[in-house]
Amino acid sequence: MKALKAEETAALESAALRIRQDILRMVRAGGAGHVGGAMSCADIMAAHYFSILRIDPAAPAWPDRDRLVLSAGHKCMALYAALRQRGYFDESILDTYGALKSPLPGHPVMQKLPGVEANTGALGHGLSIAGGMAMGLKLKKSAAKVYVVMGDGELAEGSNWEAAAAASHHKLDNLVVCVDCNGLQLSGKTEEIMNYGPLPAKWAAFGWSVRTIDGHDFGQIVGNARAAPFEAGKPSVMIAQTVKAKGMSFAEGKVDYHYWKPKGDEMARAVAELAAAAEGIKA
Amino acid sequence: MREFKDPRVGFGNALLAAALQDDRILALSADSSGSSGMTPFKNRFPERHIEFGIMEQGIIGYASGLATTGWIPFFSAIAPFVTARPFEMFRNDLGYMNQNVKVVGRNAGLTYSDLGATHQSLDDVAILRTIPGVTVVCPGDPLEIERAVQAAVLHQGPMYIRIGAPSIPILHPADMKFQLGKGIVMMDGCDVTIISTGTALWRAYDAAEMLRARGIKARLISMHTVKPIDRDLILAAALETPAIVTVEEHYRVGGLGSAVADILACMVAPHASLKMIGVDDQFASNGPYEELLGLYGLLAEQIAHTVEDFIRHDPI
Repeated sequence: MKALKAEETAALESAALRIRQDILRMVRAGGAGHVGGAMSCADIMAAHYFSILRIDPAAPAWPDRDRLVLSAGHKCMALYAALRQRGYFDESILDTYGALKSPLPGHPVMQKLPGVEANTGALGHGLSIAGGMAMGLKLKKSAAKVYVVMGDGELAEGSNWEAAAAASHHKLDNLVVCVDCNGLQLSGKTEEIMNYGPLPAKWAAFGWSVRTIDGHDFGQIVGNARAAPFEAGKPSVMIAQTVKAKGMSFAEGKVDYHYWKPKGDEMARAVAELAAAAEGIKA
Repeated sequence: MREFKDPRVGFGNALLAAALQDDRILALSADSSGSSGMTPFKNRFPERHIEFGIMEQGIIGYASGLATTGWIPFFSAIAPFVTARPFEMFRNDLGYMNQNVKVVGRNAGLTYSDLGATHQSLDDVAILRTIPGVTVVCPGDPLEIERAVQAAVLHQGPMYIRIGAPSIPILHPADMKFQLGKGIVMMDGCDVTIISTGTALWRAYDAAEMLRARGIKARLISMHTVKPIDRDLILAAALETPAIVTVEEHYRVGGLGSAVADILACMVAPHASLKMIGVDDQFASNGPYEELLGLYGLLAEQIAHTVEDFIRHDPI
């Protein structure tokens, strides 16, 4: 695995910071949002949209593009922010979050926004859809890959395991999953709500090639994603350890921030914290 | 002599014929390709036949993803397992995403009579009718099955095709015109209109003939497309005949009868009264198919009797 160049890491840090800032902008516009998961996967999304994916924002329907399916659709603010930063749509649209008929619903809709690949939100759908995309691309002899960002709480949906079995059975080695493993879900710790651990062994038993990574380390995310397939003929999965609500220190690792309706000075604190981080990057 | 044909074989042959013309067509199997009629396709195009095993929820998602890359997947298996079981996948992955996937529910209605209510499908039309953009087709004879498959390939968007399993007779002339969303007037008449669909059609046809022999001029419509339904044909029947009777191998709730009732209920002008023949609010019993049909009044003689009774005692 080749290490990232310092300037590439810096560019990704900057992109991720903008994603987090745009997430706050959307929460401000809509008054609330699924901020915990959006923030925990912000680095993963930045790595995909700014390093990993072969995409052309000017040609969102390019048949040989790589696809990213955000299976955990409630983390869509991170997706919207990444797409905006890649130029899929004008940034003013961010301010419509929460508004009537906004192209940015609380779960993504492909017909409303270029760059969105699937209408996810109901958990446990994205991996099957992505598997079908990967299969379809293989049948067409396309070199494109399909990336999926899932949540760890989402893995309790049994349909995921149907999809996982079929992906390995059909040798979809152009399918690369990243599980945003922030350890929390709506009402508590994932291992207490429904323990699907140990995740690496589960995925391996389903025929996947597994790597466990730090989901906030760009070198690890990009390096591993670029190395996929980890084994020929197998789909690949990165179990990415992350921190829920990463970047908002008062909320990090707290279950209460799965869905956030800012109270008191919380928004101001979050904005100030990200602004300070931005200054840090500049300095 | 009538010629009877197996609807699954008819579907499979039509699928193969379509695939010979269109290399975008895929066949998806849930461990039941053979009993879904897709063996000829599998033999001719093994690389376009994809086996998934018994995972119908996942298959709907895979079908959606395949369709996003330009393929036209046909997924056929036992009706309840491709409709009620993966309903949310059907709604979101096919309907909401508007993907060009054709789902074929076979052994629909009561045709898995002996296997009981888990394998019968009396609610599939009702639940799929609620999904915006999904075309629901219940072909009623071997020619309608063939034409429905051809139409499915040409139609862009998600579609459900509902077929049975026991052989059904050819009712239409070979040059019949089939158009999605347009019912077919098979007999004209002014005393009553019988509207039927799918597996029930041929017994409704026989009932209409019995009525005609008794001097009742029955109009018979094959309403193969239940969604979008042929509103104009229903309105005409409601204005031109004093009674309408719907006949379907499905719950009366949510099926063809409901769709017709929706239209009649909104009519301002005086219109036909309506009787719905179908299965009422219960899990159906099990046993030989013909006997089960008899339990729910779906045999031809029973249909004829119900129609006659209705028009003779109609309070209007």
